[in-house]
Amino acid sequence: MALRTEAQTLAHLRSVGGGPFFAMRLWAHRTHLAGLLTLAAVAACARGERTAAQRGVAITDDAGRRVTLAAPARRIVSLSPAITELLFALGAGDRVVGRTTWCDYPPAAEAVPNVGDGLNPNVEAVAARHPDLVVLYPSQVNETAARQLERLGIAAVVVRQDRLQDVARAARLLGFLTGREAAGDSIAGVISRGMAAPAAPLGTRLAVVVWDNPPMVIGGGSYLDELATLAGAENVFRDVRSASATVALETIATRDPDVIVLLRDTASSEPPRIARRPEWQAIRAVRERRFVQLTGSLFGRPGPRAAAAVAEVRRLLREVGR
Amino acid sequence: MKWLGLALAAVVAFGLAVVLGPAHVPLSDLATSDIVRSLRLPRAILAFLVGGALALSGASLQALVRNPLADPFLLGLSGGAGLGAVLAIALHLAGPWALPLAAFAGALAAMALVYRLGLVGGAELDPRVLILAGVVVGAFASAVTTAIVSLSEATELRNAFLWLWGGLSGASWDTVLVACVYFPIPVAVLVAAARPLDVLALGEEPARHLGTDVEPLKRRVYVAASLLTAAAVAVSGVIGFVGLVVPHAMRALWGHRHRPLFPAAFLGGGALLAFSDTVARTVVAPRELPVGIVTALVGVPVFAFLLRKWTAS
Repeated sequence: MALRTEAQTLAHLRSVGGGPFFAMRLWAHRTHLAGLLTLAAVAACARGERTAAQRGVAITDDAGRRVTLAAPARRIVSLSPAITELLFALGAGDRVVGRTTWCDYPPAAEAVPNVGDGLNPNVEAVAARHPDLVVLYPSQVNETAARQLERLGIAAVVVRQDRLQDVARAARLLGFLTGREAAGDSIAGVISRGMAAPAAPLGTRLAVVVWDNPPMVIGGGSYLDELATLAGAENVFRDVRSASATVALETIATRDPDVIVLLRDTASSEPPRIARRPEWQAIRAVRERRFVQLTGSLFGRPGPRAAAAVAEVRRLLREVGR
Repeated sequence: MKWLGLALAAVVAFGLAVVLGPAHVPLSDLATSDIVRSLRLPRAILAFLVGGALALSGASLQALVRNPLADPFLLGLSGGAGLGAVLAIALHLAGPWALPLAAFAGALAAMALVYRLGLVGGAELDPRVLILAGVVVGAFASAVTTAIVSLSEATELRNAFLWLWGGLSGASWDTVLVACVYFPIPVAVLVAAARPLDVLALGEEPARHLGTDVEPLKRRVYVAASLLTAAAVAVSGVIGFVGLVVPHAMRALWGHRHRPLFPAAFLGGGALLAFSDTVARTVVAPRELPVGIVTALVGVPVFAFLLRKWTAS
């Protein structure tokens, strides 16, 4: 069986993949991260037959590990809600045989056996589901777990899904691994096209406050910043490069956002906690009660529902006005 | 001269805390600026009060347990406060004061437990038993806290830890008022105990022979120092280092007598925390550093310098 080289795969993606935009993005990845993040080779059978059962699959995952599957995965354990959602969107939901406590979307995912909270994977519980593929998000404990699973003869891939560009890439990667390339390409294409075409500017300047004491805001390196930008708003903490950062209240007051966006676990029409805190009244948007509260997994979980999330953010921002 | 220097340091630290910040406020607008009036000024005052309270509490606990490593959080208070805060979040207690009150209650519960254990084997608060009880209760509370955190939803609780690790972001005129009403009582109790603590430094037996009521004194100091620390935790989380280093630094300058040591520790602690908070707010602006990191970064070199001077003379 001949494995294609990474360069060949790149060429392949350029010719058949999601157009020049995706190729450029992928190229940027390669140059920046020395190939760690690339999709690697798709193996084709020497005789040229392309039935799923006979095709081998090899990739380099986000932890730089080389993973080879003899055939597209048929029993998958997903240790991240975002990945579970993506697998269902790829049409591979019926092959998910294990999920985390937090995997609540789509509703069908809740019928899948729970193998734990996914924060520090219980390797025995995962192995007990007899998976041929385990998908984890990048973290120290997950990479250790991936190595342990490998020793048990179970293929494990570490897939980053922190931002929109990760979703497009993860969709293609999981598409390869499940033999659903067309679905993967289609999801990646939708996301890439969405990223290339942000909504018309609303003129709204916002700050996303994820915690009140110490005040923590979302910076430019986060999915929520991408959602806000695509919805036509401007995150006043875009210049903070990390995903989130602790800032002083007077910094928020000086940057003077029009709207404060907050995340909430459960839907509630009540004003947020900061509305009642005296020190937060120094901020105009708090005094004017211009809050947008985002509830549920739609906003916190980069995935195939990104377009819906963007539309909903835009609607809520419009509702609260400028 | 020493007093003048300390007073000057305190005034400068406080002044910088009001004048400097991530937002640029021209000096001419200082009096009218909303940011200064409603954010910086209460924060500077709270930093000063909390720093002073922690240093005073540390100085008196070092005298009580006669151990130079003692600090306000040695006796299990931070563990108890953490457990209280995490319970408040896990039980979904709402309201702006839920977290501070729960932390305060947790610290008091830990204090009561350590106190009770300290009375084991007779009616006296044996310093060694007290320290052991403090460490054990703190470790137990931390274990329960970790268990709760690992068994429930992660993000909210992780943020509770952020709060607990200390910071003055929650400062408002309300918290300043709470501190101003609450702090004077334990502070007065501790200051009044300064003389008897000098005698206690000679050892419990000699102190008894010199006519000091050792047991009531120890109880008074322990409860007052713990109440002070618990209140500091409630308004600003666990801010390390001030309560350990400032008393030693002041001892290097003022000697071991508690009459001058206590006010000096209060001023020194206030100056250190007000200055550290200014640094925390400004050096990485628009981001902010946890103030506990800055107290260590600022405090250690000062302390090392004083230690050298102290051992040299």
